[in-house]
Amino acid sequence: MVHAFSDADHLPNRRPDGQPASPERLPRQRRGVTPQMHGRYPDFDAMSQQEHWDDATRTMVVSRVDQVPPIRFFTKDEAIALGILLDLALAQDREPRVPVLALVDAKLLEGKLDGFQHDDMPPDPETWRQVAAGLDATAVQHGFEAFRVAPTGVQEQIVGAFAAGELHGRVWDELPCAKAWGVVMRGALSEFYSHPWAWNEIGFGGPAYPRGYAVLGPGGREPWEGEGALDVDPVTDVRERGLE
Amino acid sequence: MKLANDSRFLLDPHRRDVPGRHRMRTYPAGEEVDLVVVGAGAGGTTLAQRLARRGWRIVMLEAGPFWDPDEDWVSDEAGSHRLYWTEPRIIGGGDPVELGKNNSGRGVGGSMVHYAGYCPRFHPSDFLVRTEDDVAADWPISYDELKPHYEELEAELPVAGQHWPWGDPHRYPHRPHPITGGAEAAWRGARELGIEFRVGPVGIANGQFGNRPHCIYRGFCLQGCKVGAKASPLVTHLPDALAHGVEVRADAMATQVEVDARGRATGVTYFRDGAESFQRAAAVAVAGYSIESPRLLLHSVSSRFPHGLGNGNDLVGRGVMVQGAPQVAGRFPDTMRMYKAPPPEISSEEFYETDPGRGFARGFSIQTVSPLPIAWAEHVLADGHWGQALREYMRDYNHWYVLGALCELLPRAENRVTLADATDRTGMPIARMDYTQCDNDRANIAYARQKMTDILHAAGAQDVLTIDRYAHLVGGCPMGTSPENSVVDADHRVWETPNVFVTDGSVMPTQGSANPALTIMALASRLASRLGGR
Repeated sequence: MVHAFSDADHLPNRRPDGQPASPERLPRQRRGVTPQMHGRYPDFDAMSQQEHWDDATRTMVVSRVDQVPPIRFFTKDEAIALGILLDLALAQDREPRVPVLALVDAKLLEGKLDGFQHDDMPPDPETWRQVAAGLDATAVQHGFEAFRVAPTGVQEQIVGAFAAGELHGRVWDELPCAKAWGVVMRGALSEFYSHPWAWNEIGFGGPAYPRGYAVLGPGGREPWEGEGALDVDPVTDVRERGLE
Repeated sequence: MKLANDSRFLLDPHRRDVPGRHRMRTYPAGEEVDLVVVGAGAGGTTLAQRLARRGWRIVMLEAGPFWDPDEDWVSDEAGSHRLYWTEPRIIGGGDPVELGKNNSGRGVGGSMVHYAGYCPRFHPSDFLVRTEDDVAADWPISYDELKPHYEELEAELPVAGQHWPWGDPHRYPHRPHPITGGAEAAWRGARELGIEFRVGPVGIANGQFGNRPHCIYRGFCLQGCKVGAKASPLVTHLPDALAHGVEVRADAMATQVEVDARGRATGVTYFRDGAESFQRAAAVAVAGYSIESPRLLLHSVSSRFPHGLGNGNDLVGRGVMVQGAPQVAGRFPDTMRMYKAPPPEISSEEFYETDPGRGFARGFSIQTVSPLPIAWAEHVLADGHWGQALREYMRDYNHWYVLGALCELLPRAENRVTLADATDRTGMPIARMDYTQCDNDRANIAYARQKMTDILHAAGAQDVLTIDRYAHLVGGCPMGTSPENSVVDADHRVWETPNVFVTDGSVMPTQGSANPALTIMALASRLASRLGGR
């Protein structure tokens, strides 16, 4: 199916069920990596542009991709529960995955904070641990031994209630649910969307110093920026360009 | 205009490290200087530059690092974490204000290092809101007293933009920057509704300006301008300050303003390299902004001032404000790629003044925001999307453009910075900020949100996503006409301790609907002209 993205009928708010169109309709990434290998810019690989980046930025971004830290802050049980939570919250349902949990773990281990803490919340590192315990407690309410052994449908239901601020009982009587969701998602989105694989998926140009930009108008792009691929038929396009 | 500020010529055309940093004057331990300034941001650096030219011997204490933009800054959103004040702070109240990356800076240059770059003036009406609108408080100074300093600062930054029709109409020294497709679309929608926009005003050079490079439309203004095109005190005032003998002591956290038995300040105690030191000074300028300045004053207890410095009437920290800053994103058929070019492109002050027909006092301005991916993800999340829905909106990033409002929220005594029970690594109690909106605030924000939504729909947006948030801390040490209604007088002197000044955004009694940076600098410039030579 060819989908012209000048239309907006793929967006949740524009669809009767409020759900997005399936990502399976998107082409597979042909250059570089995207999370789950689908995206809108299949020939754009931000990492291929690194010769145009300044040294300080290149060092930081390359190490973000190449050096996945081991889990050291979370316990094994916490890591399993939180890993499932993050996969569902970010819709990372298969490899390749941006290693969000490992990147969050490293940030918490280093004690990097965001500069504020709600008066009815523990410090962010403690919030993450309590969320793991809270997911397990909620799974027990559903009749399962732990969050990790609940069926996927139940896990999704629990994460949905977490996102809606509607988890109650046990841990959640002490931990404000909506604010805890905010802490978790702020951390998760920061790691996911700072990863070049996610930039490939959404067609973000990435670091831009010292090169800068010249083409600012509507519909414009620099020669090296990714082309929105689904304005063309991916099957014939791949064949015509000899990319198979 | 001939500028008494050579910073633009003192910059190195080939490197971004501030020239003069490695050969700056240093004052020996124990020597009394004329002035110690706490905080090397917009207020502190402008004051230091002005007074150093008039012969004052000055030491600046800055809690954060002395940046070398080539080495320390990155063209990357998450990697710019160090630019923000991320030490622990507690937030509370009915509408808690998230601190950190959105509104708090750290390091030489202050939060202007990561501000977007908008440099509007306040309107003349901002100084008379009690008289004209029966809300908040009048300022003890008028617009006319700040006007010459606005003009000077606009030339020093320099500010680029179209002729400005609102408030006190004025021109800008540099011509407007080109705008992106998203800004064109939003402007088109506004025209449909009869709403005027103008390009700018931004503190980004657009033409020859000493050794300052031209903007390269990289779009990372909020991550620190590695280019050096965007104005911050690091490039606009610090080079000249260093050339006139100012010493900047970076990584030095001030913990107490000390006073003698007569109640006069004698200097500032600070932590550096894990050790406590004291800088003796004839006068002290506190310029740590709306959280850290009240915190320092409240922590400066003595037998003479048991409740903290300037706090005899229990006013320090009160009236701390933010602007309501709802953002509305619109989706367009064309790709807009809003990550390109500085986020501040166009703005409207059509709704700045009180309009009785709207049902609330004061108003708002509308500006452009252009979030990078992490900020865009937070916007999508705030609209209620996660999982596959969030990923889909994120993949659609290049089709979106974002407007943001700055709504004037009113100062309230119960909105306050206080000291929490917990302490930081120096043993100093951390700050707590409580914040709750009033009905006028809520009505203003709701109206602004609807107006931006209308503009985007008129522009042909196919979908909109909304996030409610805040911007710009000011207030907490307001200037006023008596010790009963303020912490400092019209010359920034703490009523009870006349050789202590507060010279940052915390002195602002109200905040208008303008970004505060230019006004903070103008206030410091005005104070310097009143203090005169040494």
